[in-house]
Amino acid sequence: MPSATAGDGLLQRFAQLPSGREKPGRFWRIDLENLAVPEQAAAYTEPVIEAPAIRGGFALDLRTAKERHSEIFARAFGAAVPHNDKKFAALAAASWNTGALVYVPAGVSVDDPIRIVYNATNGALYPVTLVVLEEGARCTVVTEIEGSDGAFVCGIDEVVAAENAQHVFASVQSLPEDATAIFTRGAKPGRSASVSFDAAQLGAHLSVDTLDVNVDEPGAEGTINVLFFPRGTQHVDVVSTVAHNAGDSQSQTLVKSAATGNGQARYLGNIRIAPHAQHTESALRDDALLLSKGAHIDSVPALEIAANDVKAYHGATVGALDEEQIFYMTSRGISRDDAERMIALGFFEPVVERFPTEALRERIRETLAAKAAQ
Amino acid sequence: MSEQGLIIRGLRAGVAGTPILKGIDLTVEPGRVHALMGPNGSGKSTLAFSLTGHPNYAIESGSVTMDGEDLLALPADKRARAGLFLSFQYPAAIPGVKVANFLHAARQAVRPGGLTPAKFRTLLMEKMDVLGMDPAFMGRYLNDGFSGGEKKRLEMLQLAVLAPKYAILDETDSGLDVDALRAVGESVNALRKSEEGKQTGFLIITHYPRILQHIEPDVVHVMMDGRIVKEGGADLAHRIEREGYDVIREETQSIA
Repeated sequence: MPSATAGDGLLQRFAQLPSGREKPGRFWRIDLENLAVPEQAAAYTEPVIEAPAIRGGFALDLRTAKERHSEIFARAFGAAVPHNDKKFAALAAASWNTGALVYVPAGVSVDDPIRIVYNATNGALYPVTLVVLEEGARCTVVTEIEGSDGAFVCGIDEVVAAENAQHVFASVQSLPEDATAIFTRGAKPGRSASVSFDAAQLGAHLSVDTLDVNVDEPGAEGTINVLFFPRGTQHVDVVSTVAHNAGDSQSQTLVKSAATGNGQARYLGNIRIAPHAQHTESALRDDALLLSKGAHIDSVPALEIAANDVKAYHGATVGALDEEQIFYMTSRGISRDDAERMIALGFFEPVVERFPTEALRERIRETLAAKAAQ
Repeated sequence: MSEQGLIIRGLRAGVAGTPILKGIDLTVEPGRVHALMGPNGSGKSTLAFSLTGHPNYAIESGSVTMDGEDLLALPADKRARAGLFLSFQYPAAIPGVKVANFLHAARQAVRPGGLTPAKFRTLLMEKMDVLGMDPAFMGRYLNDGFSGGEKKRLEMLQLAVLAPKYAILDETDSGLDVDALRAVGESVNALRKSEEGKQTGFLIITHYPRILQHIEPDVVHVMMDGRIVKEGGADLAHRIEREGYDVIREETQSIA
């Protein structure tokens, strides 16, 4: 557990810091500056961890990992997310009551994904997932966020990948539709390393996600794949940032979102390229699909490019379903409802197929199909 | 059996308030091939979209029955389930929807419960072979990044898989090379010889008579300015090829 003083400091930071997020208005109904945090936190809970053998490494629940491997814990905790500077990260860092640490030694390749399931059933859950990959290591981590009605989950994910390491961190949040899910994620790929964050926000009444990839080493690659689909009165707020602070680096950001009912969403996609980060290639693609009159998605790509010899591409669209596509399908006997559902699912497919494992992709498709059928 | 056929009577239709079809009378008979020819802008595609229920096309008056059923009372999907098919001139691309899944959904909608997935697959492979299509097609996204020829082959594959009662081919020949054109002709002829398709009535809409070298029409209808102005046998198509539409236009105007 964090020491009492450090925890108190972080809680003060949580209280002081602005969220910097969407303010309540005509569409967006939730005030993140004054978000009610449950008084009752869950007792320490070990997540369900399914991991293949990791030669010389481990995938352990966070308390055990901190006790047995305190140096590795210290290398990762706060390394890719500045706990003191981000409102909800400060809360989670002060309060963590579940979590996991995955450690893969140099040159070790873990083929099967490491699965970590967090289940919020009794009081607020603050999961912290840390991944440390040494030089040339390779692994995939999948976290699944589940819980009971009214669950409150506020977590941190941090990835530290050394030179030439390759990592995919996928997270699927499927909480009940009155729950709250807030995640602050950060990755630091080393020289010529690659890290992908894949996040699917499928549940919760309020889902706030921050994804930061800090490309501080030459030749590193960062990937962000995000999908979300608010319906009813669900709110989703996602901010992703890829900061290129070194040259010859690459990034791809792909975001597909849809909203139906009175679903509300905001996406802000930042790409920053520092003056010395020459020969960087960066692409951001962000498409939003509105399926009802009450649905609303604000989608804002923001590029700050200070280097002059780079390739940076961005494209953003917001639109409704295409009537020509619907007619084409209905002219083949497919009902309008089925056609709309198939087209909406197809819209998500380019990002769904980037998630690891067919089982996970099928689960995401099934949830999206159920939402589109509403 | 006097109701058999796709029977169009006095059909007037338009788009965005502009009248285009000015009273069409035309009957497509089961098992027969009707060619609908006419210069660009004569209303051929408007007829195709009006028959299949495109939401942008408004019917002003007239009737369309298909084997006795009032077609105009049905939404597009029910027209297809009743046995009507349109091969699109410009098929829509639908990213993320795989060809195989789309074809299966369409077949299930039009001919529910008929085939096990394994048998459906066999059927697809057989039909694709006739069209000279690579099996890799099945895993691609629907018309997404397809060449013109690939799109038309996929339309023909759908025709073969759905085996409709009445098929409208809207400029299926446009933009096709000789091989693709032959594949289209072979596909239509294969369907006509099959048990499922021997009663299919065809309305082949075309600007040029090229495709009619591969599919012999029983009847040729000539459309100009939203009206059928002339009808005849296969020889009429050959005349149009030799003499062009202007001669037909002069003839019909002098009669009127």
